[in-house]
Amino acid sequence: MKRKVISRVKLSSKVIILGIWLLFMVFPLYWMILTSLKPKNDIFKFPLEYLPERISFENYANIFAISKFHVYIGNSLLVSLLSAFIVIIISILSSYVLARFTFRGSRQIMSGFFLTQMIPMFIGFGPLYSIMSQLNLLNKQGSLVLMYSVLLIPFCTLMLKGFFQRIPSSLEEAAMIDGCSRLGGLIRIILPVMKPGISATFIFAFVQNWNELFLAIMFIDREEAKTIPVAMNSFITKFDIDWGAMSAATVLSVIPTMILFALCQRLIVQGLTDGAVKG
Amino acid sequence: MNNTGVRKPRLSRTAAFILFCLLPALIPVVVLTYFPIFKGIIMAFQNYSLFNLNDIRFIGFDNFKTVLQDPNLPTIMQNTVLWVFISLILQFAIGFVLSLLLYQKFPGRGVYQGLIYYSWAMSGFLIGIIWRWMFNGQIGVINDLLLKMGLISERIGFLSDPKWAMFSVIVANIWYGVAFFAIMLTAAMQSIPEELFEAADMDGANGLQKMLHVIIPYILPTIITTTALRVIWIFNFPDIIYAMTNGGPANSTHILSTFMLDKIVFGGDYGLAGAIGVISIVLLLLYTLFYLFATKASKAGDF
Amino acid sequence: MTGRSWKAELGFLGSYLSDRFTALLAARYFLRLVSKENGNRSLCLNLYDSMIVWLLVCGINEIMKGPWTFYNNNYFFMRGIFVRTGKKLFASALLIVTALSSLTACGSGTSSEGSAGSGSSEQVKIRMIESLTSPARTEVLNQMLTKFEEANPGIDVELISPPLDSADTKIAQMLSSKADVDVLEVRDSTVKQFVTNNWIADLSAYTSKWSGYGTLNTSAQMSANYIENKPYYIPYGLYEKILFYRTDWFKEKGLEAPKTWEDLYQAAKAITDPSKNRYGYSFRGGKGADSYIVDMVRDYNGTNTNPEDAMFLKNGNTIFSTPEAKQALENHLNIYKDGSPKDSVNWGFAEMVEGFEAGITGMLIQDPDVIDVVKQKMGEGTWSTAAIPAGPAGVTHFKVGAAGWGMAAHSEHKDEAWKLIEFLSSPEENEFFTQKIGLIPVHTTASENEFYKTGYYKPYMDMNADTAHYIPVKPETDYKGFGEWRSIIQQDTQAIIFGKLSVDDALKKWDAYWIDQKKQGK
Repeated sequence: MKRKVISRVKLSSKVIILGIWLLFMVFPLYWMILTSLKPKNDIFKFPLEYLPERISFENYANIFAISKFHVYIGNSLLVSLLSAFIVIIISILSSYVLARFTFRGSRQIMSGFFLTQMIPMFIGFGPLYSIMSQLNLLNKQGSLVLMYSVLLIPFCTLMLKGFFQRIPSSLEEAAMIDGCSRLGGLIRIILPVMKPGISATFIFAFVQNWNELFLAIMFIDREEAKTIPVAMNSFITKFDIDWGAMSAATVLSVIPTMILFALCQRLIVQGLTDGAVKG
Repeated sequence: MNNTGVRKPRLSRTAAFILFCLLPALIPVVVLTYFPIFKGIIMAFQNYSLFNLNDIRFIGFDNFKTVLQDPNLPTIMQNTVLWVFISLILQFAIGFVLSLLLYQKFPGRGVYQGLIYYSWAMSGFLIGIIWRWMFNGQIGVINDLLLKMGLISERIGFLSDPKWAMFSVIVANIWYGVAFFAIMLTAAMQSIPEELFEAADMDGANGLQKMLHVIIPYILPTIITTTALRVIWIFNFPDIIYAMTNGGPANSTHILSTFMLDKIVFGGDYGLAGAIGVISIVLLLLYTLFYLFATKASKAGDF
Repeated sequence: MTGRSWKAELGFLGSYLSDRFTALLAARYFLRLVSKENGNRSLCLNLYDSMIVWLLVCGINEIMKGPWTFYNNNYFFMRGIFVRTGKKLFASALLIVTALSSLTACGSGTSSEGSAGSGSSEQVKIRMIESLTSPARTEVLNQMLTKFEEANPGIDVELISPPLDSADTKIAQMLSSKADVDVLEVRDSTVKQFVTNNWIADLSAYTSKWSGYGTLNTSAQMSANYIENKPYYIPYGLYEKILFYRTDWFKEKGLEAPKTWEDLYQAAKAITDPSKNRYGYSFRGGKGADSYIVDMVRDYNGTNTNPEDAMFLKNGNTIFSTPEAKQALENHLNIYKDGSPKDSVNWGFAEMVEGFEAGITGMLIQDPDVIDVVKQKMGEGTWSTAAIPAGPAGVTHFKVGAAGWGMAAHSEHKDEAWKLIEFLSSPEENEFFTQKIGLIPVHTTASENEFYKTGYYKPYMDMNADTAHYIPVKPETDYKGFGEWRSIIQQDTQAIIFGKLSVDDALKKWDAYWIDQKKQGK
């Protein structure tokens, strides 16, 4: 009897805690969606409406009218995906080597990578701008791809190294005995096993790139090359924040990352489970 | 540990392979991360301001003096500590509780996780904007809700009252960061072998004992690594504050990284910003060394 | 640490790589990924494959011309490395750099545009950057640029519109690195910085031949020649503050538009009713609060204020040294305490305007460009405009702000750039622009226009006509410490509101600051 009561209390308190947290997490997004669906003049209307009374898509129509939002979405996708791919390829190679070999300087390289996580990047923004302008790389999406990849290499390498260390090296050694080259072994044997870990890292890289604002502002000024965060920053004008446009853009920009998260969530957790711990 | 990989006098196939794999990572990082940072650090010792580029010269430690003598520095340091540790502790505590509750399977768990993890996929700037909208003193929904519930009788200037502003930005940061801990800790807990629990059950351990003696020791490396990393990230994370208050009101929400950003974006003063950056790096290095020492680095897991 | 020196090792590795390994490995690596020999390839690998194929296809072009362009552009820098580290290492480094740059260059689908554009020889492309950006204004500018391009078929204009917050830094960065920009927005608050750094060109050579220069009104000419008495930019519009107020609320309470700052305080207090979320005044406590405080202090000092050097009195003391200054500051703070939302201690431009538009505040002091915004959001008949209130002596001081177009000193298309500036500044275009944006036009011909004589713009004409009571002052933007000053006075005032600083101490501090500025000179 007593047990049952206890477990019932436990269950209900669990439900309550999870419920409150769910509310706390979801409400901001709900509020943004609601704001984005209100007609422009209703946004500032008192009393506040908690349920949509008149749904209007004028804010969505508006952001495509006042700015080339479809272009920005395309740019963001292109830059984020491309640089996530590049960084994954580079990091797989470097982390594999760092996980499998100990050689002169390997520890220093690891510390060097770790150090980049510690240094506020803003410190190098000024010099970076002049380097990029000397290399004639300003105003190209390519420069964003390059910079995003470079900035993520250290972290992704550290992350992937953890995954590699979980995989016994006997696996590819066996393949090498069968006549595979080291690289062949890596690609054919190890990578398929690492799929969850690679996916987790890839999503991390994609999300970072998708959201990056400061570098994009600095390197890009052509209308055709802007990314979503830059465009959203433009909705903050001298007069006001255009909350209608801002909320609509927020919703649109969150959707791809949410879809990605939802689709790959199982993979991420699995990947991290494989990789994490077991120190 | 020297020289285990590269031993043969001629370059071995292995060494060539190592280089082939490492150079694509190393060269860009050195050229486009370390080199600019190095130049940025040099600027910390220069009079380097966009307002007058004809007058760039070395001025020794003057920038550091200016920063250290800034009357706002005590507030900024205090804010930095509050920002980092309150955010960290609450993010971790809530994330830990959530991952405990989510450890056992229940119907709809996947959907639930999807709904509470998504904040991690948003940018700090965006989160700042959203919370700025909700915390708005006049038309913000949070004030409206509190009024409706009868908890307050007058609207609170969450972002305009120095007493509340720091609280508000920290709330936004917690909202953002819990997902990270929840994800990482859930992942770590799921890798605990079943046998450990079975053994604990046989010993008649209750829930609390299981947590203390099985779960926590097992995921300790993850805890150490994630908290160490998060401190650094939160410390170097100006986005939310930049979007919500930009350091105001009356500098009451500036932390070191927003202070630095402010010097760059509004002051164009790369020298001062560099000095603040150097101070940040030194603080973080000290912190990391201390933390790794205190927790005995060997226990720390990778990621 | 045994074996050869690291230099030898590096050099050797470089030669090894460049001689046989890189090309072979790269080819094998890519082919492995592309070919179908892997039986069960994962989704990720599939995606990798298609990306790499794509990379190869669009990268080939860049690779072909890549190394030599890169080498030529950086010849001396490269030669240094070449001599020091040996040919082989250099070759391998070049290979990798080329590979990387070719990988990234194809990311920008239109990156070839620049070189392709130069193919058709007569077409000149100039780039123009604006700083006070908003999507609506960018739209207006684009309309004007289209007209310009139609009138000048040989010139293409690309407009750059960075987000407002970071625009000034961005412009400074572009100018300091001599990035590709020809025409830029110059404002009264940035012109000093631009001239000091030799970033913008003196336009005298062009203005002397321009018929429109003669019809610029006095304020516009003064602003254009503010630094060194040379025209460094041509204003596109003038800013001058006026009072916006809610006629309906004023009627309710039986109030009239305030004539003095004291009236404004009383009106604000009367309107304020927190239970209705209604307040008297859009107080500015955040960024940009400085001018509101300084203006009021000047007005309280009355005719003693020196209009030529308006941080000082005619007797040479600072405006903060008098008892009137204290009255002014206290009135300013009372307006906050009794007549403004608590929130407003942190308000900047946007929040003030938003507060007024959203029906939270009843009065707002702002620039003319707000007229249009308010017009769009608020009903006719609920609001009106009036002249800025006066000090106890009945005198109002006002500053005329200006923004306009200037030319980058390093521009390679100066003549075309001037053509654009001239076009934008012509009386017709200027009238179009100022009416769309809501600014005071810069040509004397415009003041005859009915548009500015009636309605919301009328206070401007009244203020300009009554020079005995409305005294224009020369802005203090050319003092060295001006930028710093703005944040000092803004933060000190916030500190007073939060009880961390006393009114007297603040005034003393400000007094000392300007005495020091005077000593340092401009």
